[in-house]
Amino acid sequence: MNRRELLLAAGGLMSVPAASLSPAYGFEREGDRRIIVFSGNQPVPILDPHQRYDWSTRMMQRCLYDALVRYEGAPARIIPWLAESWDTSADGLTWTFRLVGNAKFNNGDVLDAEAVRFSFERGLKLNKGISWMLSRHLKPENIAAVDARTVRFTLDRPYPDFLSFLPLWFIVNPKQVTANAEGDDDGQKWLTANAAGSGPFRIRRWDGQSVMALEAVPDYWKGWPMPEPERPAGVIFRVMRESAPRKAALQRGEVDVASGLTPDDLSQLARMPNIVVSDNEGAAPFAIMMNTQKGPTADINLRKAIAYAFDYEALIAIHKGDAKLMDGPFPFVTEGRIQLDMPRKDLDRAKQFMARTPTPNGGLELEYLHVAGNEVQRQIGLVLLNALQPLGIRVNIVGQPWPTLVGRGGSPETAAAMTAVYVTPVTTSPDTVASQYASSAAGQFWGIHHLRDADIDRMVAEAAVELDEAKRLDLYAQIQRRVVDLQPVVFCMTANQRWAMRSYVRGFQHQALNLTGEMDLWSLYVARG
Amino acid sequence: MLRYLAGRLAYVALMLLGLVVITFVISNVTPADPAALAAGPDATPDMVATLRREYGLDRPLPEQFLRYVTDLAQGRFGRSIQSGNTVGEDLLRYVPATLQLVILAMGFACAVGIPLGILAAVFRHSWVDHGIRILAVSGIALPAFWIALLLQLVLAVWWGWLPTGGILSIAADPPPTITGMVLFDALLAADWGVFADAASHAVMPAFVLSLPCLASVLRVNRAEMIEVLGSDHVTAARAHGVKPGRVIGLLALKNAMLPTLAMIGLRFGWMLGGTVLVETVFDWPGIGLYAVNAAIASDFKPVMGVTLVIGLMFMLTNLLVDLAYGWLDPRTRSA
Repeated sequence: MNRRELLLAAGGLMSVPAASLSPAYGFEREGDRRIIVFSGNQPVPILDPHQRYDWSTRMMQRCLYDALVRYEGAPARIIPWLAESWDTSADGLTWTFRLVGNAKFNNGDVLDAEAVRFSFERGLKLNKGISWMLSRHLKPENIAAVDARTVRFTLDRPYPDFLSFLPLWFIVNPKQVTANAEGDDDGQKWLTANAAGSGPFRIRRWDGQSVMALEAVPDYWKGWPMPEPERPAGVIFRVMRESAPRKAALQRGEVDVASGLTPDDLSQLARMPNIVVSDNEGAAPFAIMMNTQKGPTADINLRKAIAYAFDYEALIAIHKGDAKLMDGPFPFVTEGRIQLDMPRKDLDRAKQFMARTPTPNGGLELEYLHVAGNEVQRQIGLVLLNALQPLGIRVNIVGQPWPTLVGRGGSPETAAAMTAVYVTPVTTSPDTVASQYASSAAGQFWGIHHLRDADIDRMVAEAAVELDEAKRLDLYAQIQRRVVDLQPVVFCMTANQRWAMRSYVRGFQHQALNLTGEMDLWSLYVARG
Repeated sequence: MLRYLAGRLAYVALMLLGLVVITFVISNVTPADPAALAAGPDATPDMVATLRREYGLDRPLPEQFLRYVTDLAQGRFGRSIQSGNTVGEDLLRYVPATLQLVILAMGFACAVGIPLGILAAVFRHSWVDHGIRILAVSGIALPAFWIALLLQLVLAVWWGWLPTGGILSIAADPPPTITGMVLFDALLAADWGVFADAASHAVMPAFVLSLPCLASVLRVNRAEMIEVLGSDHVTAARAHGVKPGRVIGLLALKNAMLPTLAMIGLRFGWMLGGTVLVETVFDWPGIGLYAVNAAIASDFKPVMGVTLVIGLMFMLTNLLVDLAYGWLDPRTRSA
């Protein structure tokens, strides 16, 4: 064999595996059942549902635990789950839930009202993770297990949004938690990597930093949404930090579903055979928050000038069309949202506002701070840089790690003039979103604008306890108009939520309140054939 | 010799103390608030304060430092504020994976780099030498992440020969823990299926991690071999009719190995640092990936723990190299 023949033979040999690419079935399996492999970029360091709830953590919690109610669909609506029904007293203080009769924990224990009481009490007492949602309105001693299937909550003051938070309050098995508690830690250490739930899956192997393998509970009390022969044997969450390897693993069929891919990767994948990209309206608004207390952006005229100079259409182009401009301060999933006439690019108007500032001819330099490594945010900074040039404003684009960005935003003295932030709503509660513009939000990452306005503070406080639905919605409408008037933020867009998956994956259901890359894994299965 | 060893160990201890001070200061001058980040985006000030108390972050900095040093002296690295786990336990879990990767990468770099260095020296200025030098320059010049992504694309996606990442197939059951390194544990357990699976996962990350070391070893070994092959005693040996293989293998290589050994020692430390990038791209569950995840969350105790472990290994490796130097070259023993 001469050198030429050797090279040809080697080339032919290498092309064999290439031709056999793209398996037509799930990569992982157990017996004749498939295992769904999901890949995302964020680990799950703490599984305890009362300590933590970021997107990757909540996705796993939803596999292992159940809540009284659950969000479903887009726009999200609350449906009964562990609770089959509920009612509220006329004064809005007492909420009574009736539990289903067949719920049980995965170790066989009955899930009763006492377990619900224990779980809410634990969540409040730990004062971590989810506790902020209810701690202002509910004391642990005001939760009562009336009988085995009835649980009653008595609030300190009326709170119409109470129900909207309950899908994030998962129920743990008191016996397992108590048995595994170390000292007075309420089982925190044990629940970091173990589960005491009633969900459709149980833990098979757990390394929150890299691989989490769950096995299906065949007799899950709520049943499975797919025909029994199609039910997967389990799900695996594989943490892959970088987007490129995640894309490669999906192409190879090592993973069935990938989240957190870049717009470019998704565009490429959408054109490939055996891969589909699910494109859904997103709920997390992207905003450029301006420092309303210190520096040039403390002047409302400069903030307005920036808002009218900005090129909003470029945002859509950056997302390759898969984004929607915001038409109000509230995201579309939030109750009480109204559509408003938002600032759009109008250079003449921008110059009019600029003329009212102490520096009508510009000559300013403003810092635009974004999360280092986030290419979309950097590109938006470039759009800002171009847009503000006609006003004589230079933009200094700075990328810093998220913790540093949040740390700097903690005080008006250290906050940048403009900071790029995504704020993901976790519920449909308008109180949560409206509170982002109250003085109490200053210093939190969603309050990097440090807005202080007495009218907004008053209306937020009134709306939170208003039982008359019409009055309540009117207050939220006024808040939204006031926020747009004060322009603490350049309201940008909500990027679509997109996942790429192998075409054999079935059962995907979009839920508008899914956080970042979160997906409901319970309904997924692999089509046979 | 013992006096020398004691002096060197005291030096290592001093260096470690310096490392502790530097990492502690850096961790505390960044504007990020680990408690606020761990408490979650919606946490109230009261919730953040709870976490600060729980992790002692509400104490004055000198007190925190003193407590940290006291804990270190007792072998405790503190607790991760993100997971609540003790860093020592986490390190025990993740260090073996990194060691496995480094051992494989170092073994490959030496097994390939040293013979190639000899070949390049023996066939100096021939096409063999030029080809090997291109390889050496590429190994140093090409960014590791780029090579990693390219290999993933070609070997995993296009040809389907190797998995894209991870340490073991997800469905595979890990072998019984002996060393903690799955490849060697599978070997010890004679579990050939798992061994093959673990080996296929290790090929790409170990290769990428080995490249800079391989290139350095190759270059140093080539240069030293050229120098030694031109020395008088080698010429004399050749004149006395000693066979070429014996001249290269025994006379030249032994003398050329001293600087190569020093390079290997230095590269071991670099390699441990290099795992941060390689483990991230290949999702290799070692201390590099652990440190990245912790750093992103401003979880400083794990970052400090990993820094100390890498620093300690680096210093000990250099100490071993120095001792080996003395063994290989008696002239350096008294120095």
